[in-house]
Amino acid sequence: MEIIRVRDLDIGYGRTVVLRGLNFSIDKGRITVVIGESGSGKTSLMKTLIGLMPPLGGEMVLAGERIDFNSERSLGKLYRRIGVLYQNSALLNSLTLYENVALPIRIHHREWPKAKESALVRTMLGRVGLRDGETKFPYELSGGMRKRAALARAMILEPDLIFCDEPSSGLDPITSAGLDELLLELRTSHGVTFVVVTHELRSIARIADRILVIRDGAIHYDGEYSDLPRSDDPYIQAIFMRKADHDH
Amino acid sequence: MPPQEELKRFFTLLTDMIYYTGQYLRRRRGVLPGEIVRQLYGMGYRSFPIICLITFLIGLTISLTSVAQLKMFGADLYLADLIGIAMITELVPLMTGIMLAGKIGASITAEIATMKVMDEIDALTTMGIVPEKFLMVPRLIAITLVVPLLIALADFVGIVAGVLVAKLSLGMPASVFIREVTAVVTLHDFFTGMGKAMVFGWTIVAAAGYKGFFIERGAEEVGKSTTESVVLSIALIIGLDCVFAFVLY
Repeated sequence: MEIIRVRDLDIGYGRTVVLRGLNFSIDKGRITVVIGESGSGKTSLMKTLIGLMPPLGGEMVLAGERIDFNSERSLGKLYRRIGVLYQNSALLNSLTLYENVALPIRIHHREWPKAKESALVRTMLGRVGLRDGETKFPYELSGGMRKRAALARAMILEPDLIFCDEPSSGLDPITSAGLDELLLELRTSHGVTFVVVTHELRSIARIADRILVIRDGAIHYDGEYSDLPRSDDPYIQAIFMRKADHDH
Repeated sequence: MPPQEELKRFFTLLTDMIYYTGQYLRRRRGVLPGEIVRQLYGMGYRSFPIICLITFLIGLTISLTSVAQLKMFGADLYLADLIGIAMITELVPLMTGIMLAGKIGASITAEIATMKVMDEIDALTTMGIVPEKFLMVPRLIAITLVVPLLIALADFVGIVAGVLVAKLSLGMPASVFIREVTAVVTLHDFFTGMGKAMVFGWTIVAAAGYKGFFIERGAEEVGKSTTESVVLSIALIIGLDCVFAFVLY
């Protein structure tokens, strides 16, 4: 079942079109990985999907509802249904870990009793393995802990899907693998839908259910990750040869 | 960027700030609970020692230089009039504005620009939070509450400096100095100074927010934006002060 459907989407800045005529869907309860070389337009695509950059043309439908990028109300509906894990974590440095995770509740559900807020925040922190650090500030945390905290914040209001921008960026391989395991666990045990933008081949191999490869301003490959090795496309094969080189 | 585009951005942010403040005062939503108190602490409590010190030193300097001149004409008594009018209507609002531009304006720009560079502003947006409301409304409300208190305090400290010089240089009793000041300075003068300072405060927050929100990407731009914010605020304050002088006198 698809949660997002994109039709003839053109993405760019001003008169410069970065990605043209995109058509794809994002399936519920799965991890879709968007991969592409630096400057291929991965970040622009993600910015459009999360409502930060209006497309130049085409349309995006979220859970059956067309998103109007010029309407605050429509964008508001989009924001209520998504969570975003940013490359820099983007936690607010003036707030503690607990306050960061509780922020969406305090803004959108001020009427909730403190006990309800506290229970939900602690559950979410427990789910990402950060129950002990709730009074710490983001600058007191390691990169991996910040990513986990940002993931807890993204999930706190139980959005339909979570976008992750380069989740492994700046993390050592062990911490990065730990984060991959967390995404897999959340997908498996809680049915969370993820869209992950990355170029970490090891991470892709571990988490991807489905792959979107962006190249030359278009979708070059859209299919199951498990089908990738059987592709006779030289570019796709080149990506996998790089992976093989890394593994050795 | 062309100047007309910069002006458009500045006035868009200014009108957004005013609109969102009105909206917040009606509905009390979109701002983190406790944030206004945090801003009051940062802007008020942490600013008043330096503002008191500066206004005291300015009061002292103006009094000492004036005493020498007034003595030559036998017009010693007018020291109280001069200090009262000059400090309350002009020097205290202007110097407080400049001090706040350096302290609060720089801090607002640095904080918001860093948040922008670190994707925190985008994160707020995708959490369904309006960053201009979330960040600017508490600061605008805090400066509105803090400026009258700071000005009243700074007026008092400036007058005390005049009293000290009058006592030590002229042997004038404090009671005579105070009586003369209260006879010359009207409530209109007091509120004129207060009103000017209030406008300066709002200008600082708007200029600082503008320089923070519209930073070009890149951490190295944060320092540059912060400097530009202080320069812009001070230039606007002095320009506005000049306009006030034309309109009021």
